[in-house]
Amino acid sequence: MRGVLLTGALIALIPLVLVIFYLLQKGLSSWSGSFFTTDPNGNFFGNPGGIRSAILGTLEIVALASLIAVPVGIGVALYLTEYGGEGRFAGVVRYFVDVMTGVPSIVFGLFIYIVLVLAKVGGAFTGWKGAVALSLLMLPIVIRAAEVVLLLVPSSLREAALALGAPRWRVVARVVLPTALPGLVTGSLLAIARGMGETAPLLFTTAGAFGLTFNLSQQMNALPLQIYNDILSPRDVVVARAWGAALTLVALVLILNLVARAIARRSVA
Amino acid sequence: MQETRHQFREELKGLEQQVLGGLDIVIQQLDRALESVSYQDVELASMVVADDDRIDGRYLEVHQGILSLLARQAPVAGDLRIVAALLHVIRCIERMGDQCVNIAKLVPLSGYESPKDKDILDALEKMGQYARSQVSQSKEALGSRNVELAQDLVHQDAEINSLNRFIFRRAVEVGDDPDVREWAMFMVLVARCLERIGDNTVDIAEQVVFVVTGLFREMADASTPNQRTPTA
Amino acid sequence: MIPPESETKGTSEMSAAGSPSERAQEAPDLSALGVKEGAGHQVQVSGLHAYYGQVHAVKGIDIDFPANEVTAIIGPSGCGKSTMIRCINRMHEEIPGARAEGSVTLDQFDVYGADVDVTSVRRVIGMVFQKPNPFPTMSIFDNVAAGLRLTGLKSDNLRETVHKALRAVGLWGEVKSRLNEPGIGLSGGQQQRLCIARTVAVEPEVILMDEPCSALDPIATLRVEELIDELKERYTIVIVTHNMQQAARVANSTVFMLDGELIEHSPTHDLFTVPKDERTERYVTGKFG
Repeated sequence: MRGVLLTGALIALIPLVLVIFYLLQKGLSSWSGSFFTTDPNGNFFGNPGGIRSAILGTLEIVALASLIAVPVGIGVALYLTEYGGEGRFAGVVRYFVDVMTGVPSIVFGLFIYIVLVLAKVGGAFTGWKGAVALSLLMLPIVIRAAEVVLLLVPSSLREAALALGAPRWRVVARVVLPTALPGLVTGSLLAIARGMGETAPLLFTTAGAFGLTFNLSQQMNALPLQIYNDILSPRDVVVARAWGAALTLVALVLILNLVARAIARRSVA
Repeated sequence: MQETRHQFREELKGLEQQVLGGLDIVIQQLDRALESVSYQDVELASMVVADDDRIDGRYLEVHQGILSLLARQAPVAGDLRIVAALLHVIRCIERMGDQCVNIAKLVPLSGYESPKDKDILDALEKMGQYARSQVSQSKEALGSRNVELAQDLVHQDAEINSLNRFIFRRAVEVGDDPDVREWAMFMVLVARCLERIGDNTVDIAEQVVFVVTGLFREMADASTPNQRTPTA
Repeated sequence: MIPPESETKGTSEMSAAGSPSERAQEAPDLSALGVKEGAGHQVQVSGLHAYYGQVHAVKGIDIDFPANEVTAIIGPSGCGKSTMIRCINRMHEEIPGARAEGSVTLDQFDVYGADVDVTSVRRVIGMVFQKPNPFPTMSIFDNVAAGLRLTGLKSDNLRETVHKALRAVGLWGEVKSRLNEPGIGLSGGQQQRLCIARTVAVEPEVILMDEPCSALDPIATLRVEELIDELKERYTIVIVTHNMQQAARVANSTVFMLDGELIEHSPTHDLFTVPKDERTERYVTGKFG
């Protein structure tokens, strides 16, 4: 039995190993100093440039998306665990959160496209609209993870604080949140890592650009968009850039995961 | 309702049986002691003295058993009352045993074929019967937790006390013959032992009332003649 | 041979700084809290009913808890004793679907009055729970101060208040050199005394204890009981316990509950030597449990 399971596990690992292998093989060669310090320039001939604007664009968009999703997500989770409990409304909220986790990411992009982009709210394609689309995707992940962590806080702590005469909001702010903090950080980081890699929501909202910009009200570049654009290029060097960008993206996600793990481990110790 | 603490109940019952058994031994000793007085039977008297070991042994057994029960089982409420009562009663049994020994020891001292006074002898015989019946009744009262029987013991004890006083007066007036007077003195001592036995049964009666009601009141005896017995 | 106090995790009680004489049995010192003002405070419960949804857990209870005395509540599991005391500091209603009816008064103050702020009730009626629950993210100092901080009470000298509370529960010598270490690093018995210090720091009038020693080893239990004996000088104490010996040791009077009803309320000596009710007799002698 053990042999069968071990074999199955090994088989499941094969695609993962292959992916990493290919990434390294094809992407590592693109990494260079100029790769990270120049922007893609859209030229048909000559040096295609690096991916600086993509990296920074990703960071900016995801930062904004996190700023929206994490507080709101933790807030909703707090409502569900501390105030909603088993009530009807809380049950409805939970149901919708569950549904949202299953919505294809492109639907979020389309939704924002229709609601914000076509309606020309504050411009056409902009970085911040991409961030909003991403935040919609990240939100249910944050809520789910936060709810689990908050439920792990022993109710005896809440009881102790209540019995001392603390109002409920103080119990939440001074006892529940600090106790759950490591878990909340971990959960948020994982949601952020997920958001970093999503392409579809950005397609119709941010649309991409070549140049570096820090203005979120303009079209921005992002790593997934860059990869999407580059991979079908007839030019080999551009395709190589796509692989380099993919490797970069995976590396960023990996770093975030490691940080999340380190925090989780420290909180258990 | 399922019976719990089975072992504890068995142990407690066992201790009670041992105490009741102790009262049986006292009755035996008393019978023999009285017989040895009536027939001036020195051999019988010495048997009584020797057999007191049985009572002493019983005392130690019960004492140990109670200590062990208290340490291991922490009895409370009704159980605690019965344990406290048993401790008290086994001491009364030991004292009654000693009184029987005292009676037996007086037999050789009172001389052989000595002249006797019929009144004193009759009174003594009656006292003996009362004493015996009191011990028996105290055993019954304790075993069946019968408060009425317990309180009745006080009345019987009044009889013993009055007989004791009678014997004393007779001994004083018994006449000029020094042999008779000497014998009479010894009989006064015997009567005193019997009276003490009676007092001990009243003590046991008080314990029975305590076990049943939780109240402890001194019952009327020779020292406190006017105290009234508590109603159940 | 008395075994040493067992440790749950973390620091050993024996390793605390201080001379051997200090490490040995530090007695609770309530005089550290200063002069006590005013008379004691009594609690009166009358016609109390408590429900969990449709379940009628407490069925009409009348009890007077005299000032500065320890009253113990005993009874078999599920008899409603924990529910009943949680109605006194209105913790019962924190459970979804739970409600209480009837009257609970602290001196002349109606705890269930219309405009009464629940948090102010709980400040004045403190509670200690079965499992010690110090706040894990807070240090020993912060744990004791938590009561004051969480209730928004301004304390002129927070450090002094904390030190006094720790002295009062007899924990000072064991922790004075490590006030900034996490509260959960203490042994079980120390944690429970820490929780009591936390309760005492808020200066309540009544302290409710819900099986405070159930999770502790025998030595720790005895120290907490010794503390309870001291605490009653300043507070009125109600203790729920399933350990009859404990009730017999610490309480001035004892209440026996069964199936949500009050069966008997007597001075402890009387209840354990001559109980008035047949059911009390059967329970305390272990004929059922």
